[in-house]
Order: sequence, then C-alpha cells, then structure tokens
Amino acid sequence: MPLGPFGLDPAIWAVLRLLLAIVLAIAVVFNGALAQIYLERKVQAIIQDRVGPIHTGPWGLLQTFADAIKLLGKEDIRARLTDHWFFLAAPAIVFSPMLASFVVIPFAPGVVGADLNIGLLYLTTLGSMTVLGIVIAGWASNNKYSLIGGLRSAGQLISYEVPQILSLVTVVLVVGSLSLTQIVDSQPGVFINLLLLPLAFTTYFIAALAETNRNPFDLPEAESELVAGFLTEYSGMRWGLFFVAEYGEVTVVSSIVATLWFGGWHGPWTDIHPLLGPALGVLWFTLKTYFFVLVFMWIRATLPRFRIDQLMSLCWKFLIPVTLTNLLVTATLLLAFPTEKLPVAIANWILLVFFAAAVPYLQRRRLAAIRQRLATSRLALATADRPR
Amino acid sequence: MSYDFIETILFALLTLGIVGGALGVVFLNRITGSALLMAFTFLCNAGMFVLLGAETIAAFQVLIYVGAITVLVLYGVMFTPQQDRPYGLFFQKQTPWAALFVAPIGLFVALFAFSFRDGSHASAKGGDLVPLATSVFRDYAFPFEVASVLLLAAMIGAIVLVKRDDE
Repeated sequence: MPLGPFGLDPAIWAVLRLLLAIVLAIAVVFNGALAQIYLERKVQAIIQDRVGPIHTGPWGLLQTFADAIKLLGKEDIRARLTDHWFFLAAPAIVFSPMLASFVVIPFAPGVVGADLNIGLLYLTTLGSMTVLGIVIAGWASNNKYSLIGGLRSAGQLISYEVPQILSLVTVVLVVGSLSLTQIVDSQPGVFINLLLLPLAFTTYFIAALAETNRNPFDLPEAESELVAGFLTEYSGMRWGLFFVAEYGEVTVVSSIVATLWFGGWHGPWTDIHPLLGPALGVLWFTLKTYFFVLVFMWIRATLPRFRIDQLMSLCWKFLIPVTLTNLLVTATLLLAFPTEKLPVAIANWILLVFFAAAVPYLQRRRLAAIRQRLATSRLALATADRPR
Repeated sequence: MSYDFIETILFALLTLGIVGGALGVVFLNRITGSALLMAFTFLCNAGMFVLLGAETIAAFQVLIYVGAITVLVLYGVMFTPQQDRPYGLFFQKQTPWAALFVAPIGLFVALFAFSFRDGSHASAKGGDLVPLATSVFRDYAFPFEVASVLLLAAMIGAIVLVKRDDE
C-alpha cells in the first residue's frame, strides 16, 4: 500500500490536506482583511494629516477586531421585499471564488496549494465569477440604488476584464507558461519581469484597480450618488462578507502583480536552509504583496472618483488599444527573436514612454473639444434668446 | 483498497447537478432563478470537463459562460419590463409542440451517447493546454479564423442595428 506524507494513508492525507488548505485560506483572508482595514485607516490618516485609530489597544491595533465583533453581533436585517434566496446567496457567490483563488498562489518554493499548469487562467476565471454575485446582490435587494450599483459593476468588471487579460497574456507569451510557479522560476535574481514588460504592468495595475472596485474606480458603491450601491440593503456580517471579499480580492491582485512582475518569493537568502529558506520566501512574497496593497491605499487617498462615462472611455478608447498594441508588438518580436528578450524589453519601454507622453496631449485635445462645444451651444442659446 | 469510486461519486453528483439545474431552468417560473440555475448547470459542466482531464476547457467554460454570458442574460432580464405585457410572453405553455420537436432530437442524442464504449483516457501530466492550442491554432486554424470573422461580422451587425440614426 502506498504511503502519503507523515506515514498517513493517501486517502486520509488528501482529506486532511483539503481541510488544512481551506482553514489556512480562511485564516489568511480574514486576518488579512483585519490587518488591511487597520492599515487602510492608518495610511489614510497619515496622508490626510490625522492620527487614525489610537484608543483600542496599543496604537489602536485592536480597533478592527472590535469592529469585526460588532459586525458579528449585529442583527441580521433583511427587508421584506428582497428576493430571499438570492439576497442570502449573493455574499457567498462573491466570497467563495476569492477564497478559491488562494489555491494557486505560490507563497514559496513548495508552499502552494496546487501547482495548476493553467494557474493564471484559473485566477482570471475566478475573478470573473465575482460579477455574478454583485449583479445578484443588486437585483435581489429590490432597491433602485442597489440595482444601478450592480449593473454599473457588471459593466465595469466585464469591460476591464479585457485589458486585464490582454496584459496577462503578454507576460504569458514572454514566459511561455500559464503556471504561476514557472512564471516565478523564470525571473531569478534581479531580472524581474518589470524590467522586461513595464507597459503590461502599468495597464494591468490600472485594470486591476477597476476589477477590485477600488478608488478611483469605486463607482458601484459611489456614496455621493448611489448611497452605498449594491451594498445599500446589506448590514451586519453579510455586509462584512462583501468587504472581506473586497480586501481578499485586493490581496489576490497584489499577489498576482508580485508574482508576475516582481519575482514572487525570490529574494536574498531563500536557499540557505531547507526550512528557513521557504519561510523567508513567504516573507519576501508577503512583503511584496503588501507593498502593492499599500499602493492601492495610497491611490485611494489621493485620486478623486471617475464619472461612469470617463471610466468606460478610459477602458475602451485607451487601455484596450494600448494593450492590443503591446500584445501585437510583443508577439511579433517574440516570433522574430525567439531566444532574445532584449528586443521585447526595449519595445515595451519605448511604448510605455510613448503612451505616457500621449496622455497630456490627448487630454488637451479633449478639453479643447469640450470648450468648443460649450462655446457653440452658448452662442446658439444667445441667438435663440434674443428678443425680436 | 482503491479509491477509484470517488470519481464515480463525483460524476454522479455532477450529473445530478446538470440534469437538476437544466430542469430547473425550464420549469422555474422566475426568470432570474432560471438564469442562476443556468450558471449552476454551466459550473457542473465545467466539473465534468475537469473529470475528463480537460481543465483548460473547464476554465474557459466558467470564464465565458458563468462570468460573461450569464451576466449578460441577467442584464437583459433586468432591463426588460415584465409588468406591462402578458405573462405568457415570458413563459410559453406550448408543451405538446415542444415535445414533438424535442423527442426526435433526444432520441438521436441518446443513440449517439450510447455509441461510446470505451472512454478515451485523459492525457497524462501537462494537461490539455498544448493539444488544445495545436488543434486550434495549427490543425484547425482556418475554420477557427472563419469563425472569428463571422463573430466579428455579427458584432458589427448588432452595433449597426441598434445604433440610432440621430447620432
């Protein structure tokens, strides 16, 4: 009879491993969410010249725990005219794909739930399932604001999925694999993919901001116009579950960025010791991931929110053409020079500079067009109002 | 003791999910419920693909059908006014006619399904990514391109049809 690890029967080990993975993922997600809420408050407080939470525990560290306990203790309110089962299912539909994403994320050499050879595809697949939960939440709430929030979210997420996937495809083309462990292995030392594909990184990061409903793309829950969007009718831990899912999604996206462009768990001293090395790998990976989580928070405290038409035109008129050009150029260069990576890197940097330089020019032209339109309409109004 | 029976159990569960979900889509009298059950059926279908060792196709199944098509269907449902027209327009009650047309197709499908004797075994390590890519981009590149041009034409046609003249 074959023996699994620790001398256990393989069948028992399989079940045990599954349970262990689920418990670990839930622990990582919930503790991560608590830590991120605390970080978010502190970071925003520092940026806005406030102190943030300070009273509960040392440096206010226990504030989010207190809030979580408050959320758990709240009454579970459900309005009478909501769509019962859908209303209950929506938070779970949003939460579970996010939880399942953690299966393929490589924390360190050997520390990965399942090394799928379609890892990246699996992650985008799960990311696309979130939309369903948000649309259902908006519909089931039986509330205008919720419905508009849900529909906006669907439009936004489906649109931004396109540049997101196109940017990922560029990396996959260069590395030649969809497996996240192989992508990490392909960038040892300082030769991280960021040096190779800076434009893909930029477009992915913008699209990822939109995919996670974070500022400046948090239109589905825009407080100033939609109350709280699809969250309006939710309260207590159901509401909390949506937020845990959002923070989990931010973690997943940041870890994708860290894995694809910043070398994943690679860092100094990862191969000094068979046990200490992977632990250090986990540390480097977590540090890289949380760096991007911090960047998300920094952006949230800095930028104003988009309007819905600006959001859509940014995606369809700018990001998608840019990512398509990038993909075309990268694919052509890889066909021409299958073994060399330098041409791809040079082309990517040139494209990045070119598109970054084009932004102010496009902006000026757009503003001029708006001014022109305003002037002509004002003229028309003036001639129409003139007394005869 | 071998654990091959787990696959059979999973297959049975997925089959129940597919058939039950599909029946729910047809018989449920709530259009959003039908849409969600359709997503559930697609998910179970993806599970079947995983059991067959075709995890790439499973991933695309979820990505396209659950993540995009179901959401579009829900979008359509939400933008369609349901109050100001007769109920029968949404849920047709022409069961005999439907049965008459479905029965021959069902018979054909059943005959076809029972013609399989030995299931081809799932490919070993490496998954179905490479075989899929070779068949789509090398062996069947031309039909694939024709299909994509057709889809593009359909999309442009749809845009032209719904575009208002005053713009």
